[in-house]
Amino acid sequence: MHLLLVGVSHRTAPVELRERLDFSARGVDRALSALVNALTHHEATIISTCNRVELYVGCDETEATRTAIQQFLSDFHGIPADQLGPHLYTKVGQDAVAHLFRVASGLDSLVMGEPQVLGQVKDAFNLASQMGCTGPLLNKLFHSAFAAGKRVRSETALAEGAVSVSYAAVALARKIFGNLKGRTVMVVGAGEMGKLTAIHMQSQGIGRLLITSRTAAHAATLADSIGGTAMPWESLTTALAEADILITATGATAPIISRAVVAQTMKARRQRPLFIIDIAVPRDVDASAGDLEQVFLYNIDDLQAVVQENISRRGTVASDAEKIVSQEVGRFLGWLNSRGAVPTVVALRQRFESIRQSELRRLEPKLASLPPEARARVDEVTRLIVEKLLIDPTERLKSISDADTVAAYSDALNRLFSLTAEDANEESTLTSAGPTRSAKNPVS
Amino acid sequence: MPMNAILLVLYAVACVAYAVQFTRRTFSTSRVATVLLVLAAFVHTFVIGMETMRAGHVPFSTATSFISTFVWLLALAYLYVELTTSERAMGVFILPLLVALQAIPAASPMMEPRSALLESPWFGVHVSSLLFAYASFALAAVLGITYVLQFKEIKAKQLGFFYARLPSLNVLDEMNLRAVKIGWLFLTVGLITGGIWASQLQPSGDPRVTAMSLGDPKIFVAVLCWAVYSFELYAQRAIGWRGRRAAWLSAVGFGIVLLNFVPVSYFFTTSHNF
Repeated sequence: MHLLLVGVSHRTAPVELRERLDFSARGVDRALSALVNALTHHEATIISTCNRVELYVGCDETEATRTAIQQFLSDFHGIPADQLGPHLYTKVGQDAVAHLFRVASGLDSLVMGEPQVLGQVKDAFNLASQMGCTGPLLNKLFHSAFAAGKRVRSETALAEGAVSVSYAAVALARKIFGNLKGRTVMVVGAGEMGKLTAIHMQSQGIGRLLITSRTAAHAATLADSIGGTAMPWESLTTALAEADILITATGATAPIISRAVVAQTMKARRQRPLFIIDIAVPRDVDASAGDLEQVFLYNIDDLQAVVQENISRRGTVASDAEKIVSQEVGRFLGWLNSRGAVPTVVALRQRFESIRQSELRRLEPKLASLPPEARARVDEVTRLIVEKLLIDPTERLKSISDADTVAAYSDALNRLFSLTAEDANEESTLTSAGPTRSAKNPVS
Repeated sequence: MPMNAILLVLYAVACVAYAVQFTRRTFSTSRVATVLLVLAAFVHTFVIGMETMRAGHVPFSTATSFISTFVWLLALAYLYVELTTSERAMGVFILPLLVALQAIPAASPMMEPRSALLESPWFGVHVSSLLFAYASFALAAVLGITYVLQFKEIKAKQLGFFYARLPSLNVLDEMNLRAVKIGWLFLTVGLITGGIWASQLQPSGDPRVTAMSLGDPKIFVAVLCWAVYSFELYAQRAIGWRGRRAAWLSAVGFGIVLLNFVPVSYFFTTSHNF
């Protein structure tokens, strides 16, 4: 069975086309069943996010399936094939494996290293798996992709620096204040983003963490959970004077901190620098407050730009991540190799079967005198004997996962039973430019 | 080749090494830069030592020898800062200043006269205080300039070249103020001892002595410097002029110091031309 990938991503298609191709609007489950109906006897998974639509299919005939998938995409979304064609990419075998692993690690993402994509790939696979659209190939493929994604996240700084706006905020704070020890951080709004940034700041050993929210209970809960001091909303402006770093992340629809308030605060602070991180959308702090001397005001877009800048400088981190991905691809291909026992098993069975058949033919003159029931019985008994002889070796061969052992066993069997390549069927071929078939490497 | 020209070459080579390490920022380029500067400062120490032996006192009596000694002191002060803070980023700004100033003694001979006027111990304290003051102000100016460069990048949200290389704004600001405080103390001592020394001079026929007044450009500019740095320290405490404003004042103050060093010393002063 071959692995085939057909898809579009932010690299190949403009957002208008990606929007039209996005399956989530009409339900990925419906799309998946429609796809499986269109291509009978296939494994399939659809990844559909705002940045990419990718169909992973296990099939026997890549060229025909590719055409069928393209037809399916154009029918399902009502997009003419000639409009779609130039933006689609197709990858087969090893290339498709590598692509999925890079996607799952965040290497192919618009914001490199962003962590959401791994969750999206998991969701896509889980759905396909629940709907019974996956088989041994895609099951193993996706689980290996998750492993690759996890390794990249834990072993490289790709996610750490790239992801987060909160990381960028901490880096900036350190560039302004140097050491953050003893600094006072104030969080306005008890949402997730504010919390994340505050936790990042805390890891830098800040002095005090003040938390305020329009709903006092929310501030108190957050203060309890991450260890800070909840402040009443009314004292916001007075408390501001104590803060070196102000993080605003409320859901307010209009700015809650005006330029005048910040100017007054700066006076009270005797012009000690104030770093304002406004991660709320819409913004919480009047943008003109950033013009004040010694006020450094960054909103979410500014931080995102910083993040992008970081990424472009993080070439080496990306290449570390690529190394991990190629290791994982190698490991997956190793598993595929272990599935290389299958051709040997098939060859062995065919060998035994052909011996049985030829013996039956040789005995044909003698058996001819027997009544039909007896002849059927002979046929039955010989078949059972072959079956019983083969059952143990078959099971054992299939259970070996190590490619070298598989190769050694296969080699031994090939020699002992004089199996030739022609005996085996064209079995599993995943490597696009697969190695030539040999006795030593029956995987092909 | 005169020793001062050799020193100029040594400082120039170190300057190139600091520029390379500033852009590359690798361990080996940093090492090479520091070693080259240490070598230049070491040879310079030797040259100053020889001159001191020859003249019987530290060579700072003429404008030219004063500059050479200043370069030596600034190189040592910078090396001290670098070795204690492990921050090399300042070097790329200090070294060109060293090279430019060292070019003056390299181009003209360093003759140490023994004017009877300069025998007073007040003169020694006066000149060495000012040497320390100006070295501090040079460091403060470089810290100020780097502060402004980085401040601009952070304010404009264009985090680039300097952002990646310089220490934090807070560190630059505090080091700047510390350097200004030390410089201000020495400048104050230098001015006071200079005043005492001048007042003790016998009114002789020497035109240089009669010109020792606030009206002399050299003295006037030195007092102006004192006013600028005094204001910087006052404004920082009283009205919160820290950060960029303090940084600018440090840069402006040292600009005036340089003005006093070269054009005023060589062309305008009538009192300090020994």
